[in-house]
Amino acid sequence: MNKVAPQKDRAQVEEVVDEASGKICLPPCQIACPIGLDIQRSHARIALLPPDTQEAHRQIIRIGDEIYQQNPLFLICGYICGLCERECNYKDQTGAIRRRMLLRLLTDYYLPYLETKPALASPTKEKVAVVGGGPAGLMCAYSLSKKGYQVTILERSPQLGGALWYIPRYRLPANIVDTTLRNLVRIANIEVKLGASMGDGGKTLDDLEEEGYQAVFVATGTLIPRPLSIEGKPVAGADRGGVMFGLNFLFDVNQGKVSPQLFQGRRVIVVGGGNVAFDVARTARRLGGDVSIVCLENEDKSSQDGIPADVEEIEGAEEEGIKINYCRGVEEIIGEGGKFNKIKCPQCISVFDETGLFNPKFDYSDAIYLEGDVLLITIGQAPEQAFYQQEDLLDGRGRLDIDQLTLMSNRKEGVFIGGDVRRVGFAAEAMRDGMIAAESIGRYLKGENLKSGRKKEYEGVAIPKRGSYKPQPELVWAPVEERLNFEPFEKGFSLEQAVEEAKRCLYCGPCKSCKACVALELQPGIPEIEFDKDLCISCGNCAFYCPYQAVKLDSPGGVSFDLAYCKGCGLCVAKCPAMAIELENWERERISALISQLLAEVQSPKILVFRCQWTVSPPRDGEFAPNIRTIDLPCAARVDTLHVLEAFQKGVDGVLIAACPEEDCHRGSGSREAQRLVAKLKERLSQIGYQDRLHFCSVSPRDPEQLDKELRQFRQRIEAVVSKREGK
Amino acid sequence: MIVTSLKPLDEILDSISPYSNILIAGCDGCTQPPRGLREAKTLSQLLELGGRLRDKDFQFKVTTVVKQCDSFLTASALKSQMDGAEAVLSLACGAGVQTVAELFPDLPVLPAQNTHFIGVEDREGGILEDSCAACGDCLLVLTGGICPVTRCAKGLLNGACGGARNGKCEMDPDRDCAWELIFQRLERQDKLDRIKEFRSPRNYQAKAWRLTP
Repeated sequence: MNKVAPQKDRAQVEEVVDEASGKICLPPCQIACPIGLDIQRSHARIALLPPDTQEAHRQIIRIGDEIYQQNPLFLICGYICGLCERECNYKDQTGAIRRRMLLRLLTDYYLPYLETKPALASPTKEKVAVVGGGPAGLMCAYSLSKKGYQVTILERSPQLGGALWYIPRYRLPANIVDTTLRNLVRIANIEVKLGASMGDGGKTLDDLEEEGYQAVFVATGTLIPRPLSIEGKPVAGADRGGVMFGLNFLFDVNQGKVSPQLFQGRRVIVVGGGNVAFDVARTARRLGGDVSIVCLENEDKSSQDGIPADVEEIEGAEEEGIKINYCRGVEEIIGEGGKFNKIKCPQCISVFDETGLFNPKFDYSDAIYLEGDVLLITIGQAPEQAFYQQEDLLDGRGRLDIDQLTLMSNRKEGVFIGGDVRRVGFAAEAMRDGMIAAESIGRYLKGENLKSGRKKEYEGVAIPKRGSYKPQPELVWAPVEERLNFEPFEKGFSLEQAVEEAKRCLYCGPCKSCKACVALELQPGIPEIEFDKDLCISCGNCAFYCPYQAVKLDSPGGVSFDLAYCKGCGLCVAKCPAMAIELENWERERISALISQLLAEVQSPKILVFRCQWTVSPPRDGEFAPNIRTIDLPCAARVDTLHVLEAFQKGVDGVLIAACPEEDCHRGSGSREAQRLVAKLKERLSQIGYQDRLHFCSVSPRDPEQLDKELRQFRQRIEAVVSKREGK
Repeated sequence: MIVTSLKPLDEILDSISPYSNILIAGCDGCTQPPRGLREAKTLSQLLELGGRLRDKDFQFKVTTVVKQCDSFLTASALKSQMDGAEAVLSLACGAGVQTVAELFPDLPVLPAQNTHFIGVEDREGGILEDSCAACGDCLLVLTGGICPVTRCAKGLLNGACGGARNGKCEMDPDRDCAWELIFQRLERQDKLDRIKEFRSPRNYQAKAWRLTP
């Protein structure tokens, strides 16, 4: 009986601007997401997935469709991203909402569906070329195709994916990348030319123009590994046998070009302290190597010179038996007969100088020697510059000469550059560049202003007031002895776990920029507060009880509402002693009229249910239909003493309040406050013998039986009350 | 603020039972919790339901006054609403009830509440505490802003008595020893010398019963 969520256009989502700062308010996760995904919105929808697996499956496809519109690579993000989690307001309570795992659950269901997902309409507008088929290029191509442009991706290697192919398969399974990209190209009608290199004997930008491409997005990534150096000079011995670059190694492994026992019985030293170095080390470990890491940085991640790799990577590597040598540089690569056998590692006493620049200092008197058979250098990567030089796209200092807002070259009109080549970063950041470039290209081809209205400032919304916080679920990794292979070792969430985790989300962001409730047809729009200043007695209840900082006390006296932060829960309405506040769609008179109307059609014993709309499951027809009528409220917080008593006055025999469990309340403290209000009212009702007629219960939307059970018991109780009264 | 609590509904029902048409007057003033229009309406609903069980059909009219203890404001707010009222049920403190009674000497004016003290509210903890005895001789300047007249169970002006255990009063282990609080506050403000100052016995004559504003 759960309501079916219809597919509503995201266009109805509105930007909410903070009155004081003039900045756009969003939940911090959405600001942190380079793509700007509506994280809150999909969490609200996951949290309300029905218990019926098939129906849940159908709804997940809809949620996936909605995310896909914005980000067709979300299936990959579920394995490798999680930037949003770094800014989650919940982080400082019990730990961030595990958004990445939620995306991964969506992927579990969405990936098979992707094969049948209908393609977009065939593009008819101008031809655009995208050079580089990595995350930036793919995202740009998709965004342009959505706008109707005919896009061709020119990729120099034999396959799409770019830097995704440097990510080990135990983190990102190959079938995820393969299925996602293959279908993306199909769905978005993108033409792909593999093995098409630019510059150095390949094509030039002029060639592309001649071929009829009206604009070009260049995102060639950073595929040149950075060589080892010390004090500004190359480290001696880097040409010895057994020395290689980690990046090339990762690529070869992912391509299946190496034997699974490549490093069996060999000692592997990995130089570098970033996430890629850990990918290299853990990959080498999986190929049988006895692996150690050497890095300049220290163990204390919170310090300036702390190791940059993620905690999970460090923990995982250590569990897998990888030794980390902190605070060591590489001064010399030593060997015999042209083959490397040890490195000399002086102590690194500082990595960054006072100005924050990378400028490591060493104590050469304290050096150790590390012996090994293979040396993998993974200390960063740089773009290949030749092409950009040939095309005159660099400035006098050898940097890309582009506009940072639009990504258009300052030297060549219609040429846009982005992704890692602009700034090495996370995949999602490269994808953002692709989106930015697509927007710019669209404007460019339409002859519009490239810059107007694009510079936006955001403000993260604070965490709502709440009684308690639920613990963060632990990630489950396969035990070490089972995970030294290329199968993903992180266990995904089950549907139940995902729903529980989504329910932890506090929906910090403004309602108008989310509108999940509207998409779920819970309410027609976000209700607004109507405040009558003349009635206000400045008691401050509204400001005190508001879970969202939407009410500010003015000095002297009075209050003001900031609708950017108001979520329309109605708690202030129920708490206002002066009845100075009304909530749109749930005005006092409207509810009163509804009570009368419902009462006219219900049979004795007459039961009225005031129910939080987020508990969704409606009472079943049949069994309860004759005796029970329901009024849905935006949140249990809007339960009003006046309406409960009015119902009794009008002849209702029993009133049941159905709220979400306190810890699942979508509106901060609504459920808790409703419970308190009912307890207080019951106490007063007990003074006139009405206490049995009012009952508060918390029910989960995922378990419709719960409400049925409560209703059944309550009806029995009310029947007893009624027969006693009639007997008298 | 004036701290009040509602009388049991039975007691109110007893007091209003001789009448049928009753005006319930809320007060937006300093009563805490606020007993304005919402409480007036809620009370009317509860009493109506309670009346039914006694086979009594009350007709209530509800209103509220900005400050019931102000006779000017109250007169102007209530006068037009008194038509047909046989009694007024007041949601003000004792002072407000008396103001209405003075204004309408022909009508019975009934209190719906008990008035307790002048207090402070801790909203987070949901607690109201007696904090001013209206003694007419304020010595908060000497005691770091903590009133020993109300907050010391013995009302000592020259404490502490010596009976406190772990900072709690010997008469009530839930109650902080006011004089320990005073000592800590003065110490924090580096004004401990004030505690040495002798405070002469309380001047009960200072408790005024009538003043000119």
